[in-house]
Amino acid sequence: MPRQVLEDTLTADSIAADTALAASGDASAFERLYRTHVARVHTLVRRMLDADEADDVTQDVFIRAWQKLSTFRGESAFGTWLHRLAVNVVLAKRKSVGIERGRFINEEKPLDNVSSKPVTLELSMDFEEALARLPEGARQVFVLHDVEGYRHEEIARMLGVVPGTSKSQLHHARMALRRHLDR
Amino acid sequence: MKDIWTNRLSEYIDGELDSTERAALEAHLATCGPCYATLADLRDVVAHAQTLTDREPAKDLWAGIRAGMIPAVRPSDGPTVRPFGRRRFSLTVGQLLAASIALVLLSSGGAYVALRSGPSNVTPSPVADRGPRITPVATWTGPTDAAISDLQATLTQNERRLDTMTVRIVRENLAIIDRAIADARIALQKDPGNAYLNFHLAQTMRRKVELLRRVNDIAAQS
Repeated sequence: MPRQVLEDTLTADSIAADTALAASGDASAFERLYRTHVARVHTLVRRMLDADEADDVTQDVFIRAWQKLSTFRGESAFGTWLHRLAVNVVLAKRKSVGIERGRFINEEKPLDNVSSKPVTLELSMDFEEALARLPEGARQVFVLHDVEGYRHEEIARMLGVVPGTSKSQLHHARMALRRHLDR
Repeated sequence: MKDIWTNRLSEYIDGELDSTERAALEAHLATCGPCYATLADLRDVVAHAQTLTDREPAKDLWAGIRAGMIPAVRPSDGPTVRPFGRRRFSLTVGQLLAASIALVLLSSGGAYVALRSGPSNVTPSPVADRGPRITPVATWTGPTDAAISDLQATLTQNERRLDTMTVRIVRENLAIIDRAIADARIALQKDPGNAYLNFHLAQTMRRKVELLRRVNDIAAQS
């Protein structure tokens, strides 16, 4: 077995063992799972919500993961399960702070908040910053579709909108972001 | 620059248009410079999104998570937050073997007690009391077994790089770990939901993987 494949197998195996240990109540194993996955979860949360909420929500995701480990049956990788849990926590957070469906119906105007193409490279806005300044709905659809790889039908179900709205939001997000790519 | 096709460009990129719409849009692109340029921009955005990388949070969030996992930690519980991280072992083969075997023997004693006591008398560890319900590990040890098998095959090839005494000690101690694993499996057949036994099996297999990896690394560096 090639070394890289072996390393990948061992990593997956180590995560599987830690998942079992954590499910048995082993906090140290869960800490190892946290350290393996925190960057991915935190980045997802930061992109989908405001940056100042990312730490709290990330902590919430892992606490819920600990509480729900007994429901993890191993049909998917632990990382996939955790990622989906993180998306659900983010979407629940979105609802809890009153970000409602109306945000998804908005069209051009809020996207004007993202400034137009900078005249010099020095003024060029970081792509992540531009992403953070998108309206919540467009940003979440963009992250879920273009970054995380979800399909419109899945996104529509998660967000409680029709697929056409998801497509429209994605297009508007891309149109806004194209101005901020360095060339 | 806006025309009826501009808002369909993302759907075109994502393959969401039917064949008729697609053909019509492609015909339009052949004659509309602004739409053609916008299409290239949008493709750049999509490509850029797929290159974004994950970043660690600015501060370590574990302490807050640990506190949330156990809302009522008593002071008498002592320190419960133990920095573990992804540190790699820096022990010698001898030290590693000693630590592994001591832990395996220690936990094997617990397995023996658990097995002798029967299912209803097993007392899970205090940490296990606070955790989620038990998920039996024995049903999905296949990948672990495969990894161990690969590592053992690698070790067989690497053994010639180690001195004879080390090889003998490694083999003897791997046999002890194997017996502990076998005992745990037998015990789990009788009591599949036993928290301690599941914990013990997973931990022992993990120690075997760590030991094999370490010995292989040392052999590779020799």
